[in-house]
Amino acid sequence: MGKVIVVTSGKGGVGKTTSTANLGTALALIGKTVAVVDADVGLRNLDVVMGLESRIIYTSMDVIEKQCELQKALVRDRRVEGLMLLAASQKNDKDDIQPEQMKSICQRLTVNYDFVLVDSPAGIERGFQNAAAGAEEAIIVTTPDVSAIRDADRIIGLLQNARVEPINLVLNRFSPDLVKSGNMLDKSDVLDILNIELLGIIPEDEAVIASTNRGIPLVHSTSSSAAQAYMRIARRLSGQQIPIPDLHAKNFFSGIMEWFSRKR
Amino acid sequence: MNFMQLFGRKSKSSTIAKQRLKLVITQDRFDVDEQLVTRLTHDLAEVLAKYFEFSMNSVQMSLKKAQDGNSYILVADFPYKKATKHPSIKG
Repeated sequence: MGKVIVVTSGKGGVGKTTSTANLGTALALIGKTVAVVDADVGLRNLDVVMGLESRIIYTSMDVIEKQCELQKALVRDRRVEGLMLLAASQKNDKDDIQPEQMKSICQRLTVNYDFVLVDSPAGIERGFQNAAAGAEEAIIVTTPDVSAIRDADRIIGLLQNARVEPINLVLNRFSPDLVKSGNMLDKSDVLDILNIELLGIIPEDEAVIASTNRGIPLVHSTSSSAAQAYMRIARRLSGQQIPIPDLHAKNFFSGIMEWFSRKR
Repeated sequence: MNFMQLFGRKSKSSTIAKQRLKLVITQDRFDVDEQLVTRLTHDLAEVLAKYFEFSMNSVQMSLKKAQDGNSYILVADFPYKKATKHPSIKG
């Protein structure tokens, strides 16, 4: 039996979908079987971020309405063994699905997949409640800024009340340079405020934009620092003890090294 | 505004962010009245000011979940410089 993990944040635009796509792919790359589920009904995006948009035939709505079998609604990612996507319906809205229905889909997926990652919509309303309904665990994605952290705290409270445990943190778009200059909250500040376990830190990385443009999750190449960070998180999720490295601000020499190694 | 604020280095924006966040999150975690913490802070300050000298800017209120997971612990930090010389209880 696999486990269901909801990837959520409260605030939009902090990297839930990017994180779901990359963690799902990364887990498959290390040999796990994975189903990623888009729970953002009406505003689906996990399919385009993963580059699978042209292959969606059925959605979770079709499964709920018994128009098709669950297994048939899953789109296989041909680039890696063991990775499937269940898309959300774009024509419906969040109130067309009941939390119990999402829960049932997630539970059925755990029979065949080690990990079921549910990409939650932003907000605390029905869409989030549907996404969290079947989750045993949660990954909170936040960036180190006040609005994202405040919203993350709200979501953590709701998940704790729903007895989702553990709730782990992915700190996204982290910039050691900004921390050094005193203009970004440090890892310890964020953990002090949110008071949950840190699962990993994703450095701010331009490679994320190019990867989304192409529809190829970053982790297919390990050249970017963000991809390496996602790979480490996937290993931690699969139970390996991988320390979280401290990210350091650029100095003169590392700046030069980066300039030379950058793809032009 | 004191000397340091006028001529010294400005506070780091990350420090300000952390202070502001701690306050709003404390308020958010009280799911009753949003203004409760603000009013409580002022009421507490009014009482404590009779005994200690402190700056309102340094006051921090926070709410922590207790070990049992069901109750909360309200922590009020009033860093004071010194005790008031002649405490008088009015009213």
